[in-house]
Amino acid sequence: MVPTHAEIAARLSALTAPQRQRLKRAAIAAVVAETLWVLQAALLAWGLAGLATGQPLPLTLMGLGVAGLGLARAGLALFGAAQSEAAADAVIGAARLDCLTRADRRAPEASAPSSAATAALIVDKLAMLRPYLLRWHPAQARVAAVPLLILLISFAVSWAAGLILAISGPLIPIFMALIGLAARDASARQMDEIAGLNAMLIDRLAALIDIRLLDARDTMLADFERRADHLRRRTLEVLRIAFLSSAVLELFAALGVAMMAVFVGFSLLGQLGFGTWGDAITIGEGIFLLLMAPAFFQPLRDIAAAWHDRVAAQSVARDLLADQAAADPQIIGQGRPDAARVGPIAVRGMVLRGRDMPDLDIAPGEAVALTGVSGGGKSSLLLALAGLIPSGGAVRIGGAVLDDKTADAWRAGLALIPQKIHFLDATLRENLAPEASDKEIAAAIQLARASAVVARLPDGLQTRLGEEGAGVSGGEARRLTIARAALRQPAVILADEPTADLDEQTAAEVIEGLLGLHRRGATLIAATHDPRLIAALPRRIEVGP
Amino acid sequence: MRSLWHILRLIWRDRGAAMRRGLALTVVVSLFGIGLLALSGWFIVAAGVAGLAGLGTVFDVFRPSAGVRFLAIARTAARYGERLLTHDATLKALASLRVRLLAGVSAADFATLSRLRAGGALNRLTADIDALDGLAIRLIFPALAGLIASIATLIGLWYLVAPVVALWAVGVTVLGGGGVLVLAGRAAFIPGSRAEMRQQALRAGVIAHLRGRAQLVVAGRLLESRQALLDQDRAARRDALQQSRAEWRAAAMLQVMAAVALSGTLILAGQHVLDGRIGPAQAALAVLATLAMAELTAALQRGAAELGRMRDAAGRVVAALETPPTIQISASETAPGLQLCGLSVAPLPGRQPVVANLDLTILPGETVALTGPSGRGKTAVLNTVAGLVPAVSGRVRAGGRVGYLTQRPALIAGTVRDTLKLASPDADDGPMRDVLAACALDLPLDTRLGEGGAGLSGGQSRRLALARTLIRHPDILLLDEPTEGLDAPTAAAMMRGIREWLPQAAILIAAHRDHDLIPATRIVVL
Repeated sequence: MVPTHAEIAARLSALTAPQRQRLKRAAIAAVVAETLWVLQAALLAWGLAGLATGQPLPLTLMGLGVAGLGLARAGLALFGAAQSEAAADAVIGAARLDCLTRADRRAPEASAPSSAATAALIVDKLAMLRPYLLRWHPAQARVAAVPLLILLISFAVSWAAGLILAISGPLIPIFMALIGLAARDASARQMDEIAGLNAMLIDRLAALIDIRLLDARDTMLADFERRADHLRRRTLEVLRIAFLSSAVLELFAALGVAMMAVFVGFSLLGQLGFGTWGDAITIGEGIFLLLMAPAFFQPLRDIAAAWHDRVAAQSVARDLLADQAAADPQIIGQGRPDAARVGPIAVRGMVLRGRDMPDLDIAPGEAVALTGVSGGGKSSLLLALAGLIPSGGAVRIGGAVLDDKTADAWRAGLALIPQKIHFLDATLRENLAPEASDKEIAAAIQLARASAVVARLPDGLQTRLGEEGAGVSGGEARRLTIARAALRQPAVILADEPTADLDEQTAAEVIEGLLGLHRRGATLIAATHDPRLIAALPRRIEVGP
Repeated sequence: MRSLWHILRLIWRDRGAAMRRGLALTVVVSLFGIGLLALSGWFIVAAGVAGLAGLGTVFDVFRPSAGVRFLAIARTAARYGERLLTHDATLKALASLRVRLLAGVSAADFATLSRLRAGGALNRLTADIDALDGLAIRLIFPALAGLIASIATLIGLWYLVAPVVALWAVGVTVLGGGGVLVLAGRAAFIPGSRAEMRQQALRAGVIAHLRGRAQLVVAGRLLESRQALLDQDRAARRDALQQSRAEWRAAAMLQVMAAVALSGTLILAGQHVLDGRIGPAQAALAVLATLAMAELTAALQRGAAELGRMRDAAGRVVAALETPPTIQISASETAPGLQLCGLSVAPLPGRQPVVANLDLTILPGETVALTGPSGRGKTAVLNTVAGLVPAVSGRVRAGGRVGYLTQRPALIAGTVRDTLKLASPDADDGPMRDVLAACALDLPLDTRLGEGGAGLSGGQSRRLALARTLIRHPDILLLDEPTEGLDAPTAAAMMRGIREWLPQAAILIAAHRDHDLIPATRIVVL
């Protein structure tokens, strides 16, 4: 679904709505600062005119006036920026919280957006709201008020001068609107390209060893070069439109200034007898009009310079809408600590990824092997039992449906030994159990037959392992995840191929460890192909066709 | 700072001609901007004076007014050309820098690669390179052009108006504006680089949090981890705020500086007029030139504020570029099959050897199983044979192309076809289906995989990774626990399929399962 422009605008204004007061103050400061320039210009014009006509002047006083007004403008700019900045900070903070809360509860499935793309949205793209609020918003306020004011003042001095501005001014928004439309599409395409490139890179970076082994490094580099070049061309496309729009604008502004200079010059020479309300233009009025002309176009130039910020903000809003609209399956529950709650497990009529799952009844303290062909859904069934993928209310724990209210309590008594090993970017100790005592950790490691593994690590428990357990062998990583499970003192253990990567003897030891936990009262549910593990468990359930 | 020069030299070497033209146009834009306002001011006052004196008809209006129009249009054109040229050149140079960086990262040794956290490396390739795009465009060019234009203005005002006025107008702009920029650059330096660091840490943190979310949820630590990220976010925003505060302070100070320059020029030039040393039109020229010069420093403001961020990014990028490529070539022998002579191997370079003095010859068509308890170095032997880790001592002679299914192969997002294409870019659908069948994997080629191959079961992932290895028709095949996660019939079918697919390959399998051992012609126990 592609959101309409109106929806995007609505999302954007909903984002900034809570900060409306601050943004309004910033806008007022921006407009007032700009009007002070009119006074500065008037002082300069009278000063120079006085010199030309030889009238006596309080020159020093006028000079100080120019400097003082400059000081006031700088102060207003500071105040406005502080207001916008505070607003931007609050808006970004709120949006990040919102996005993160949505993303980290997405079920770990194929359809979930890549974590790199989500991180880019949360961290980089949302940060683009800052220049939007800091530059575009005040520029928009100025463009609404300042050119009109200058137009009125110029008209009051000379109707012809006002006419010059009135003619060259309104043409600009028309051109800008046309160019802006093109820029929006180009910019959206560029954003997509950036997200695609990031997702591709994060995947390739995680697979660099495999890529080397497949001699695919050159293919990858060529592929990347093509994508990077594509991104460069898209970026330039966006920039070209931006440059073109500002060139059109500057051309009109420059022509406006030139026309004003020529008109005023000829009037002063007495060669033009029209354009005023009576008397001929004086030198002071002429200089003043000349100084007003660039100021008339300046807000338009500012808004053109900030155009890209606005387009970026719109594409952020578009991504936010897409992120909200994605109907990705959610992890059940909040993932917060809770008092453990256990009970018999009952599964009725569960369908996962289009496959029917068997109905199950598992009493507390049972030990069950889930068997079946590879790809038959054993792992999915375990994920559903853990509440990590939705089960449509097919799972009941102690009679209560596994839902958002009950899932955290259920998982508090649960340990999951996943098939794909994942270590958080922290020390081994923090990965095992951040709050456990040395003694508890030692006991769990002993139980998992992993003491020698830890002893071999360069920094022992303080070692930081790779994301997928680099630094230890597959069997060693498996045993560490079993120690991690044991430390949770679980009432239920869900284990996905717990004896994978293990030799006969270690496998036997790990099975013994699992059975040890089971004998202490834990329910054990293991998806496995290992005949020895199947034989060690009293009950067997066939999953899949 | 040295790394900034290094990057600048790289860009310049890559795109020298475009950069020189861009710089020339930047100077033209600055000069014409000042010229336009100065000429207009002079023209109006001179015309006014002539009109008052009744000389309106003899005053030459055409040359100045043509000059005003020329400067106006030429400036716009030059600005468009300059922006397009410099941006195009910079983007091209950065794109090739990105590719070189990825080439450097991917050429790192096994130990570095296996510890690589994808999030951090992504930062180098995207955020750090992006941070450098302002180096030439927003910092070096405006600075050089501003300096050249200031010198030209100084000379112009010196001769056309008066030395004192010229010194004041240019001096306050260059010294005062430059001073503000240096101060602002310094003030933003530390918060700027800290803000960038925190933003990168936040990005890496979000990626790690999301990739580990299943584990965090089960541990009941999702909220705790999210809270930690939100704290990180607050800190990142605080630093970003500090950096941008330094930026607006600089902007405000530049405005004050411009106002001081302007008022001083008005007073000085006015005094000269009253003293009769210059005409009022020259005074107008000086005042408007001073007004226009404020743009020179304003153009530099953003670049100065980004200096800290750019320097840090350049430091990291240059360091990553300098990583020496250390690809090991595993063997160059021509005798077919695989021969290990007195091979001693360690899991990683510098660690204690786990296997010593291994002698083993595998002829084409033979299958050898390497068994032994976990941690005895089966994987280390395969890593060494595949050339990932150098041997401690001894020699590996591999006669032909080596294919290696590792213990934890990483799949990439995309379709099954994309995965196979990565290994064999020219393969057609037919051979692709055949190799999947050989791996006992019944999966349509258009099946879509998520990040890291998500969506497939463990056994399916392994078989797809195997298919990816087999499609290259290796002469020597190394398999690390190939049947892990497979039921016995599937495993048997797969092992049969491998042999049928590669009848003449020398196969070395690290295994501890009985059914792996079925097709083995020999078993070596470590």
